[in-house]
Amino acid sequence: MSADLLSVIVRTLAFVCLFQAAGAAFFVLLFGARLANSDHAIRRLGFWTAVAAIPLLAAHQGLDAARMAGSLSGLGDAHLQSLAWDSGGGNAAALEIIGLGVIALGLAPHSSPTGDIASLGALIATCAAVLTGHTSVHPEHARLAALLALHLVLVAFWFGALLPLIICSRRESRQATVALLREFSSVAGPLVPCIAIAGLAMALVLMPDRTSWSTTYGSLVLMKLLSFVGLMLLAAWNRWRAVPAIERSHTAAAGQALTASIAIEYGLIVAVLAVTATLTTFYSP
Amino acid sequence: MKRLLGLLALCFVGVVHAHAHLLQAAPADGSTLSVPPSAFSLKFNEAATLTALTIQKDGEAAQKIERLPAAPSAQFNIPAPKLDAGSYALSFRVLSDDNHVVSGTIRFKVMPAS
Repeated sequence: MSADLLSVIVRTLAFVCLFQAAGAAFFVLLFGARLANSDHAIRRLGFWTAVAAIPLLAAHQGLDAARMAGSLSGLGDAHLQSLAWDSGGGNAAALEIIGLGVIALGLAPHSSPTGDIASLGALIATCAAVLTGHTSVHPEHARLAALLALHLVLVAFWFGALLPLIICSRRESRQATVALLREFSSVAGPLVPCIAIAGLAMALVLMPDRTSWSTTYGSLVLMKLLSFVGLMLLAAWNRWRAVPAIERSHTAAAGQALTASIAIEYGLIVAVLAVTATLTTFYSP
Repeated sequence: MKRLLGLLALCFVGVVHAHAHLLQAAPADGSTLSVPPSAFSLKFNEAATLTALTIQKDGEAAQKIERLPAAPSAQFNIPAPKLDAGSYALSFRVLSDDNHVVSGTIRFKVMPAS
């Protein structure tokens, strides 16, 4: 397997684990008071995905040396490894690993019950990406960094809440599940569209002229936007159809329909994260 | 929504700063040379660190070119190894200022000595 392909696979897995861990931390902070029977399982999910993300991020950064060499032999090249780690990318990876460590500490058994420490770690881990990539060397760096941080924190909040919501629907009472889903929808409703707005605003800075949108980078950005529209439709279906169905009758069929819809949403976001990993590894605006 | 997008476009008009890309190479991509090159020249749009350079003759294993300059630069002139007549692919990898690894390949032919 080529170093480039392996790097994209590891980066995608690292994205999934990092956003899941950060999102679980945000979920505990925002909805912890409602988690009578599922708090432990959600904390465990956040803890273990944070732990899994750490070696994945370290491996991805190490693989940058292999990509510089054009083959996996670069993994053992001390000069290329030092180039990989003594860079903005290395600083971002180090900060992400610190953030994940804080999430793991904050969600570990007998840690703070409010999730505030874990959420601080989640902010560090998600915002660390502003130290690297196209945005870090752009003249509009400050504005791009703010937009990227907002984009990433909201992605973590949304994506990282999906598995906890499934866990809640299986462990909490019908009333508690419906109340939680309603509360989540009221928080996510205004926040999730900001993911696309922040992403589009960044794309307009990075690709100010129309021709940039016809490049591979532009096409992949458009693919992300189209996937987002699909995800919004699914989220709307959850909010206006699936949740009221559970409210009316907490039958197995109603619960399964919601779980299936959330699982599709999860799978689509993982696909978008894979596109993002490809986009940020191989292409520039 | 259209108004919001228009406002965003006005607020964020700027200069595109992509990562490093090759502006010029010698031998040029697709060129045919009557004599083998004594050096390879690569010119980029911005300073980058040359991390790998290989030359591969058709049907043979790639040969790694050692002792590359450690400092970032927008232009590199690297002495070429002795090349026989044949088709070659010169592949490079550079590390951009934005920490992206950029790769490329230049193909050229060396004609047999007449």
